[in-house]
Amino acid sequence: MAIERNYYTIDPEGKLECMKCHVPLIKGKAKFMYLDNGFPVELPVCPVCGFVYVPEELALGKVASVERALEDK
Amino acid sequence: MPEIQERGSTHVYKVNRISKEEMESMVARCVYEEPPFCNAACPLKLDTRAFLKAAAGGDFKKALQLYEKATPFPLILSMGCEAPCETACRLCERGDGIAVRAVEAAAARYGQASRLGSVFRTKKKKTVAVLGSGLFPLFLAGELEKKAYPTTVFCEQDDLEAFLHCETEFLDEEAFALELKRLKGKDIQFVFGCDPDEAFFARQREAFDVLCASETVAKKLFPSEEADPALMILASEKLVTGCGSGVMAAAFGAKKAALTVDRLAQNLDPRNMRGSEGAVESRLYTDLSEASALRRVPSEQGGYTPEQAAQEAARCIQCHCEECMKSCAYLKHYKKYPGLLSKEIYNNTQIIMGDHQLNKPMNACTLCGQCTAVCPNGFDMAHVCAVARRNMVSTDKMPLAPHEFALMDMLFSNGDAFLSRPQPGFETCRYVFFPGCQASAIAPETVKAAYLDLCSRLDGGVALMLGCCGAICDWAGRCEMQESTREFLLTELSRLGDPVIIAGCPSCRKELAESVGGEVVGIWDILERIGLPEGTKRINRPAALHDSCGARGDAHTQQAIRNLASRLGVRIVETKYSGDRSPCCGYGGLTAYANPEVAGEITRKALERTDAPYITYCMACRDRFAREGRESRHILELIYGTDAGAPPDISEKRYNRLNLKRELLREFWQEETAEMKLDYELTFTDEARSLMDSRMILTDDVIAVLNDYREHGEAVLDSETGLLIARRRLGNATFWVKFTEDQEQGYTVHGAYSHRMNVVRREG
Ligand code: SF4
Ligand code: SF4
Ligand code: SF4
Ligand SMILES: [Zn+2]
Repeated sequence: MAIERNYYTIDPEGKLECMKCHVPLIKGKAKFMYLDNGFPVELPVCPVCGFVYVPEELALGKVASVERALEDK
Repeated sequence: MPEIQERGSTHVYKVNRISKEEMESMVARCVYEEPPFCNAACPLKLDTRAFLKAAAGGDFKKALQLYEKATPFPLILSMGCEAPCETACRLCERGDGIAVRAVEAAAARYGQASRLGSVFRTKKKKTVAVLGSGLFPLFLAGELEKKAYPTTVFCEQDDLEAFLHCETEFLDEEAFALELKRLKGKDIQFVFGCDPDEAFFARQREAFDVLCASETVAKKLFPSEEADPALMILASEKLVTGCGSGVMAAAFGAKKAALTVDRLAQNLDPRNMRGSEGAVESRLYTDLSEASALRRVPSEQGGYTPEQAAQEAARCIQCHCEECMKSCAYLKHYKKYPGLLSKEIYNNTQIIMGDHQLNKPMNACTLCGQCTAVCPNGFDMAHVCAVARRNMVSTDKMPLAPHEFALMDMLFSNGDAFLSRPQPGFETCRYVFFPGCQASAIAPETVKAAYLDLCSRLDGGVALMLGCCGAICDWAGRCEMQESTREFLLTELSRLGDPVIIAGCPSCRKELAESVGGEVVGIWDILERIGLPEGTKRINRPAALHDSCGARGDAHTQQAIRNLASRLGVRIVETKYSGDRSPCCGYGGLTAYANPEVAGEITRKALERTDAPYITYCMACRDRFAREGRESRHILELIYGTDAGAPPDISEKRYNRLNLKRELLREFWQEETAEMKLDYELTFTDEARSLMDSRMILTDDVIAVLNDYREHGEAVLDSETGLLIARRRLGNATFWVKFTEDQEQGYTVHGAYSHRMNVVRREG
C-alpha cells in the first residue's frame, strides 16, 4: 500500500468539542479543494457528524498561501 | 444583474495573443533605457554618466576603470579628444555642459591603472601584427591587447619612447611619462627599426593570422586601395587599417578595426553582428528644472585637482527619465520603469501554463492615468494594465479573489441598494441625479441634501438613481458584466424618460458618458450655473484641491470645481501635482481591494504634496484621505454644510446605502420598506470589528454564519479560549466566526476569518 501523503496535520489533543454531538474532535482525514485541485490533510473532525474544523492560523497561513499560489496559475 | 463565478480550473490552456508590434510600439514609448546625451554622442560609448558619478564621489579608481573600458590610453584620449559629449550635454541648454574631458584627464592622473598583471591572462590562439606607428596603430594595439590577442607591433622607430612620440605632440611631459608607463605595462610585443615593404609584408602574412597597418603603411603597400570606413578593412581584405585624422578618429577607428580583427580571427564575416557602433541619437528626456550648478568649475594650469574634478563631476545631473516613477507610488513600489513593467505584464498574459507572477502588479495599478500626463511621451500604463486584465479575464485565467469583494459590492449597489425613481409628481424627468455608489456609502446625508437642493431649484423634474455606474467591473476587466450593467442602466434611464444625467462623481461622469452616452454633466456644472444654495457658509481658509483621476484631461471640470471652491472662500493651495498631474487617492482601479498595501502607499504619497487639508470632488478620495488621518472634505459637504464624519467600515458602507434608500423612499416617495431586524442581540468586540474590516468580512457574513448555527447547531467549542466557532460556506468562501453565546445578551463576536478553499471530509 502506498504511503499516503498529507499536506498538513493537526491533532486537536482533546481541546476541541463538537457542540452538536458533544464529543471531542479527533484527528481525521479531510481534503482541501480549490479550482479543481485537491490536497489531502489531517484536521480536527467530529467522529460523529463529520464537522471539519479549520483553525484561524491554518486559514490565514498555509491555506491562504496555497490559495494565492493556485490563483496565479 | 449577473452572478460572479469563480473560474473552474487552473488548467486553462488558452491565451489571447497580443500582436508583437502593438506591444513593441507601446514599450518603445518609454525612453528610460535610452542613453544619456553625453554617452550617446561618444563614439567610444564611454558610460559618461557612471564615470562622472564615480568621479563626483572622489572614486577615481572606479572612474578610470570605466574610462579604460572606452580606451586603452586615457590621457592621450582626454587631451586630444574633440569631446562631442561636452557639446551634447543637456546642461548646455541652461548653462555650461560638464567639462567631461578635464574630469577624464583627472581620472587618468589620479586613478590607479586597473590591471597590472595582464601578462597572466589567457591569451587567444590567433596572432595579430600591427605595422607602422602613430595614433591608430597605438590605439589598435591597445584594443587588441584588451581582447587578449597576442599582438606584435612592427615600427620604424628605434625604441618605445620614439614610437609613442609619433602624433602625440599635444601631450605635456608629465602626461607623456604616464602614458609611456602605461604602454610599458601592456603585453604588446615590439619590433623596432622595420621598413614594411612588400617582401616584409609577405613574410608577416605567413607568420600572423591577421595583419593590420597604419594608413601610411597601407597606402605604401596598396596605393590603389581605400579602406572601408565602417569596417576599417581594404576591399581586398588583405589589411585592416585606419582612416581619417585626429585623436577620436584614431581611437574610434581602432575600436572598429579591433572588432573586425576579432571577426576575421574567428573566420566570421566582419560585416555581421557588430552591434551598435559609434555615436547615436538619444531620445532620453531629462527634467532640467532642478539643475542648479550651471557654471563650470574653473581649472588650473595643468588641469583639475582631485577636489576640483570631483566638484565638476558633481554638477552632472545624472540624466535619467523618471518622471512617472517620481510621481507614482505604484511604480515606485515595483521598482520598474513602465517600458520594462509593461513588457513583463504583456508576457504574463501570454503564459499558457505555469505561474502568472505579474498578476499582482497588473492588479495594483490604479489605472489613474497620471503617468500618461507626466511622461514626456505619454506612456499609458493604465492602458497596458487594463488590457492585460481584460485579456486574463477573457481567457479565464484571472483569479477572482482580488476583485471579488468589489464586484459583489457593485452587485449590491445595483441590487438591494439600487433605487431609481422620478421626482414625486413627475412621470418622467428632465434630469436624473446619479451621486455614485461611494457617495451613498460614505456620505448619505450629503447625497440627500444635494438631491433636495436639485429638486427644489431645477425645472422639469429631477429623478434619483442610486447605484454603480459600472466603473468597478470596468476596472476589473469584466467586459461582459460591464455590458450587462450598461443595458441595465439604459433600461432604467429610459423608464425615467432618458433624462440628462447629473453625476455626483467625475469617475461616474466619465464612465456613464462612455457607456450609456447621452448628456452627462457633473453636479458642479449645475451648481456653477445656478449658484450655491442659500445659506452656504463661507470657509475662509486655505486648502489643497485634490483633482480626481476621473477628471484627468478634463480642464472644464477641474476649473468648475476651483470656481466653486473660490466662491466658498477657500484659498486654494496648488501643488506640483495638481490638475492633470494629480495622483490617484488609491481607490482607483480596485487597487484598494486587490492590493491594500500598495493602495496605502499611493494614498500617503498623494498626501505628501502638502500639509494643508484637502478638498476632493470624489467621495472615495475623501474617504481614503480621512482614513489616513488627514482632514479632507468633499466639496459637496462644504456646499451643503454636511459632515460625513469618520470614515465608515465596509459593513457601514453597505448599511449606509441601504439606509439611505430606505429613508429617501420614506421621506420622498412615502414608501415604507421594512428594515431587516435580527431577533437576537449581536455585539462585536472592537478587535473583531477591525479584523473584519481588514479581512473584508461583512456583518452580513457573520449574521449568515450565526443564523446557520442557530438552525443547525454546528460549532466547535475551543476549551482553551472558551469560544465557540461556527462556519458557513457563502459564495466562493467559507466564513468562520468566533463568538460567545449568552441566554440574555445573545452573541458577542470576538473574531472572524475566511478562506476560499473548500474543505471536505475524506474517506479511508
Ligand atoms: S516618464 Fe516613465 S514611462 Fe515615460 S519615458 Fe520616462 S521612464 Fe518611461
Ligand atoms: S548632465 Fe551628466 S548625464 Fe546629463 S548629459 Fe550632461 S554629462 Fe551626461
Ligand atoms: S497607478 Fe496611475 S500613474 Fe501609476 S502606473 Fe498606474 S496609471 Fe500610471
Ligand atoms: Zn459532531
